[in-house]
Amino acid sequence: MSGTISRQALRELVSEWIGQGKRVAGPRQVKPGCVLYAPLESSAQLALEGFIRPANSVKEFVFPKHEELYGYRITGNGIELTEVEQPAGEQVLMAARPCDAASLPILDHVFNWDYKDELYNRRRQLTTVVTLACAAHDDACFCTSVGLGPAAERGSDAMLLELGGGEYEVRCLTDKGKALFDSRLPASERVASIPSGPEKRFDAEAVQSFVKEHFDSPFWPLQTLACLGCGACAYTCPTCHCFDIVDEGNIERGVRARNWDSCQFTMFTLHASGHNPRPNQPARQRQRIDHKFHVYPEKFGEILCTGCGNCARNCPVGMGVLRVLAEIDHAQHLPARPDESR
Amino acid sequence: MSERVEFEPKMVAFVCNWCTYLGADLAGTTRLEYPPNVRIIRLPCTGRIDFNLIIKAFEIGADSVLVSGCHPGDCHYTSGNYHARRRWILFRELLQTLGFDLERIHFTWISAAEGHKWQQVVKEITEKTRKLGPYTDLYQISGNSASPFPLPIRGGGSNTVPLPTWGGEGVGALRETCRRLLAEEKVKVVIGYGKRGPVFVTRPEDVEQLVWNSQCLTNLTVYLKRKEIRALGRPAIVVKGCDERALVVLEKESQIDRKEMRVIGVVCETMGQAKCATCDVHIPRFADEVIGEVDKHPALTGERWKSLEALLALPPAGRMAYWAREFERCVRCYACRQACPMCYCERCLVEKNRPTVIEPSPTAKGNFAWHILRAFHLAGRCVGCDECTRACPAGIDLRLLNLCLAKAAEEHFAYRAGMDPKAEPLIGTYSLQDKENFIR
Repeated sequence: MSGTISRQALRELVSEWIGQGKRVAGPRQVKPGCVLYAPLESSAQLALEGFIRPANSVKEFVFPKHEELYGYRITGNGIELTEVEQPAGEQVLMAARPCDAASLPILDHVFNWDYKDELYNRRRQLTTVVTLACAAHDDACFCTSVGLGPAAERGSDAMLLELGGGEYEVRCLTDKGKALFDSRLPASERVASIPSGPEKRFDAEAVQSFVKEHFDSPFWPLQTLACLGCGACAYTCPTCHCFDIVDEGNIERGVRARNWDSCQFTMFTLHASGHNPRPNQPARQRQRIDHKFHVYPEKFGEILCTGCGNCARNCPVGMGVLRVLAEIDHAQHLPARPDESR
Repeated sequence: MSERVEFEPKMVAFVCNWCTYLGADLAGTTRLEYPPNVRIIRLPCTGRIDFNLIIKAFEIGADSVLVSGCHPGDCHYTSGNYHARRRWILFRELLQTLGFDLERIHFTWISAAEGHKWQQVVKEITEKTRKLGPYTDLYQISGNSASPFPLPIRGGGSNTVPLPTWGGEGVGALRETCRRLLAEEKVKVVIGYGKRGPVFVTRPEDVEQLVWNSQCLTNLTVYLKRKEIRALGRPAIVVKGCDERALVVLEKESQIDRKEMRVIGVVCETMGQAKCATCDVHIPRFADEVIGEVDKHPALTGERWKSLEALLALPPAGRMAYWAREFERCVRCYACRQACPMCYCERCLVEKNRPTVIEPSPTAKGNFAWHILRAFHLAGRCVGCDECTRACPAGIDLRLLNLCLAKAAEEHFAYRAGMDPKAEPLIGTYSLQDKENFIR
């Protein structure tokens, strides 16, 4: 099903969804120079143009940065557990980028592998993803290198493509998407042209074989000296999904909650004995690349990266996976001396 | 009967073991009556009262807090209360900027003989708190608070500065200096700026990697403490005037040995950042070699507090709402901490989990606690390089918190971190002459 919708009508539709009590989240300028995916209080807050992509990702709407798992009370006789409220109420992720939408089916694997994560699945079920195809890209974008593109449909329930003149072609891709636009779309023959994406920057398979074979290579310390060890890359990445479990409370009651965690932190792998199997930043950076391009693909059959480039844009020292991957690609074409590749 | 009448204020008093606690005890033994609304927590000395405790008290429902210890000159440990006084002068300013209600935070000196003063103080604070009502503004995003900074509803502006396009002009002298230092083996590594960020040049022939342009923003002194960088050997480091201030503080705190490094100062008039508009250190002052020329340092102006003043013009609840809204976006990636040259602790307090000191959860409570901790641990140490603010992926204006403490240090103690290598660190020292007007 395909149709045309004007920007005005789109905003009206967003207002309507908000009016229906749906939680609508989309790109929103939270302050000058900073657009983030955030819950929208009104359709006017939806930012549709003038930026490449929000500085965060949509993952926090299915996998919140802080989520309570259950509560507890310490009584005279022991511990009493209390349920937390289940996520309820539909939500719409509006004008998500294709690289964000594609992250959701990738995340589904890990949250449904040995354990079915109820909270994640419930949120996921309640979520409809309306993607806006990218009209522009910057130096940090590399979706085409990981098999996606500016109008990739993966993970989207509906896709908007710019037609020009303030109009969008709407492609309803799933029943959820259809239900959302329902009867609001006059059928139309107008078809948007697919925008051009960034140039391909590396060969994902070559990267996979490189990281597999170069675990102890001096390549890693050389390439990752500048890394400061913050979690800006992981926390703005649409596919990074590690979390930490904490108990917070007092001597009477508290909650067990999960918070995002990052493999870039020293504490991430620190053992109680004091031993740390990833003792330095190069080992931690290697882990990030290794997990995304080797471990995850071997386990689940796909790369844990959608090429959004947030890691590069948000890195305080201009790193990010692309820079390392481009170096790997470069090293691959050199005669077996990765230590010389700079 | 209205709710207001039923309200019984809860007040937490952090008192020292030697004076105020005995003062309170005396009040009891002499049968002086005072309101039972106060919960006393006895600590060894006011100098030992962690600023986090005030925050914690409010978090668990206190309506007001009292901190009380020995009169100046009377400290059982000679100087604990002097240290405390200096710290509270600064901390109060931070709380004010964050929008805490200072009417609810009290400081007194009460000696072991002043049972009457204790009675009086508790009575007065209880009555005052009763009038103020329950403290409900804590961490609240209240509806009636406009932000001091214009927030366009939706954007024409571009999201972010597009990815840096790195060029490289006027770097000849810089490269030549570095090449010479490496070739003569004066240093083993040059920590400088490359096309895509910091680079670590170890061979004279690689100095071509070094650039100098408007994207050379990172405060490279952050690397001096890193193990992997130290392993490379004796460093030369490229600094701007603002970054160099960090070297002064690091040396004063015995973190680096200036004799074990070469400092290459680059004259910088502006990098186009907020801090640059009021920068008065265009020329590195203590560098071993200075590259570039500029007439002189511009004068220091009061303009530098302008953005802070806009925030302070709001009522306390408005300021708190502003920060609550900002901190709501914090994901606790700790980019602010990692990008800071002064945050060199091997294990940050926020990482202590047995027991937890600062909640690691990105909730209102956890985020306020974290940002208060980060800002205050930099009191009198922050050199204003603004790297924390630049590193923040959520666009939180951490700069304002640093500015408020820098302003307090200047106004109360005529101290600017990293300006005078001879000046004693602000925190950790004290003066009998420290002035305040809020301790009774």
